[in-house]
Amino acid sequence: MDPTLDLDAIRTIVVRNGVIAALRDDAPVAADPEVERVDCAGMVLCPGFIDPHVHLREPGDAHKETLASGLAAAAAGGFTAVAAMPNTRPAIDDAASIRRIARDAAAAGRVRTYVIGAVTRGRDGTTIAELRSMASAGAVAFSDDGSSTASLKALYNAALSIADLPQPFLSHCEDRSFGDGLMHDGAVADLLGVTASPSIAETAIAARDALVARATGKAWHLCHVSAAETIDVIRWAQGHGVRLTAEVTPHHLLCTDQALLGYDARMRVNPPLRSESDAAAMRRAVADGIITIFASDHAPHTTEEKEPPLSHACAGFSGLETAIGATFHALPDVALAVMVANFSTNVAALLGVAGGTLKVGSPADITGLYLDRPWTVEPHRFKSLGRVTPFAGMKFAVQPALAVVGGEIVV
Amino acid sequence: MTRTRHLLDLDGADRSTIERFVARAAEFKRGVPSAARLLHGRIVVGMFFEASTRTALSFAAAAFRLGAHWLDFKTESSSLGKGESLADTMRTVRAIGADAVVVRHSESGFAHALAPHFGGSIINAGDGCHAHPTQGLLDAFTLQEEFATLDGRRLTISGDIKHSRVARSSARASSLLGAHVTLCAPPSLLPRDRPAWGFAAASSDLDAELPSSDALMLLRVQKERIDAAGSPPSSDLASGFGLDARRYALLPAHAIIMHPGPVNRGVEIAQAFVTDPRSRIERQVENGTFTRMAVLEACIGGPS
Repeated sequence: MDPTLDLDAIRTIVVRNGVIAALRDDAPVAADPEVERVDCAGMVLCPGFIDPHVHLREPGDAHKETLASGLAAAAAGGFTAVAAMPNTRPAIDDAASIRRIARDAAAAGRVRTYVIGAVTRGRDGTTIAELRSMASAGAVAFSDDGSSTASLKALYNAALSIADLPQPFLSHCEDRSFGDGLMHDGAVADLLGVTASPSIAETAIAARDALVARATGKAWHLCHVSAAETIDVIRWAQGHGVRLTAEVTPHHLLCTDQALLGYDARMRVNPPLRSESDAAAMRRAVADGIITIFASDHAPHTTEEKEPPLSHACAGFSGLETAIGATFHALPDVALAVMVANFSTNVAALLGVAGGTLKVGSPADITGLYLDRPWTVEPHRFKSLGRVTPFAGMKFAVQPALAVVGGEIVV
Repeated sequence: MTRTRHLLDLDGADRSTIERFVARAAEFKRGVPSAARLLHGRIVVGMFFEASTRTALSFAAAAFRLGAHWLDFKTESSSLGKGESLADTMRTVRAIGADAVVVRHSESGFAHALAPHFGGSIINAGDGCHAHPTQGLLDAFTLQEEFATLDGRRLTISGDIKHSRVARSSARASSLLGAHVTLCAPPSLLPRDRPAWGFAAASSDLDAELPSSDALMLLRVQKERIDAAGSPPSSDLASGFGLDARRYALLPAHAIIMHPGPVNRGVEIAQAFVTDPRSRIERQVENGTFTRMAVLEACIGGPS
């Protein structure tokens, strides 16, 4: 299955020197001792899935996740590449850090790791980081993810300062004045009496950043969109020629603030789980082609760090090993070609990286899926050190079965 | 009285549960001869992370009248501040011999967070903006004492509804007993669903509600909890949702005035009405002890 080739057929993929050498529609040739064969009967082979939004926690929080455990989780989850967010401790905000993370990740696992640089120094929201140097060092994008870049002036000038470069900006949309919110401000928060953050905290920043994208001409991407009103902003921007894309996570497609009833601190995440109508709006936005990218926002924490009370619990879920199953589960009516593009082709295009296609001459990055092999989410089996997921015990039909990176089978 | 393990909130309660608590509180008020032996030798620990005079005192008096011992957990100097986990602290408190912990905390859901870690009973004495179940019960008791039955009676609760645990618990308890509850606040401080919280009416026009109210409950203006960017100033709450002479005149002659205390005299309620013959503020405090006796008995009474 390759959306770039408009191909959905039975083929043999021939790989040589880590590159796709041919797509053959005849039966495999007779045994050649020089050739290793992998039987993929029953599997759908796709361009390698790329997760544009993961937190690998190194440096600073290796007790939550290490590069090795995070990349093992990515492979187990069916991903051939990930893009690591820079909100580590310290933040990845200079060229040396970009090079170091890329080098350490290459040593820690075979899943390709792209590194995202911080927009501002130490993610302080006001001091523009050395974006040009980081770009030269290999940064694929820039983001202050974990929060929004507080200063409009800094964000605008940061974008202008590298308007000539291809690296996009990735926005975490959440107005800081609502930073004390522990959950979505809706009927459930009313019942629970919990300090909450309303949808407009996301939508207002999404609108601000869409306007910065328009004013600077920079390619822009909205991370983990969660509020129905934000879809209106994206639609407006895309309709006015702004180079704006958006991603959605499996939990914002499938889960709602009802999960917080009983003060379940494990369900705390930023942006928060919102109402059922918001989740439905996310699913519709994918079906309508407004949201074109899937991301796990893999944000592992220890189980202890996810315990109540709500104000003490860390925000985020371990997501790499459930992303594919959960996303397909949430969107049963979206065409397979669209699903694959959102996991692969569109992500490669966003980040300007190789992959996203099975075209001859491309790197042999391949994700294999079983479309109907029901499996149950068992967090204790995760490769990730983070075991908290909103999907524990759920059954998903689509199962990742194979991950090939540069011709090497990693799972 | 049916036993119950914890009292965390009234969110899942039904009418008969509220009725049983209120009936038992009324019995204690009339006098139960053997009351002082009911909880003989039991230990109740008060964990007040947030300042409280009347609730803590009321619980302590209730424990005393039932023969139980009341111990204060010094929250400011506790090992919780030294990094001990909630679970460890609660196991220690249990090992010391506590049968019940009465907890107040500024965070909604805090009592719920303790419950899984404690082998005894957790009684919520107020969690953030969420619940204050014994206040809800004592208010229902006070109303029932006044009107015999709450069916068809109209209770108006006025003030900062959004940040009020009293409003949530009192509205629910009274509503379960048949009262028609109307919440009065600026739109930003009202729940957004209608009916509010699934059962209450909501209005931003207190004057319009007063002529049909049988009881008016004023909420304390929580000066210490107000977030200046999140709520209108207390002067707006006082003028729009407090009780003054003009509003007093709009109430029917039989209507009563309630307030959970402590009162900010001259803010949410004009000085003269605190001790007005129609004020039940002191009665609420008095009934609080009997209500808490009923709650303690239900949680840790009977054979241990």
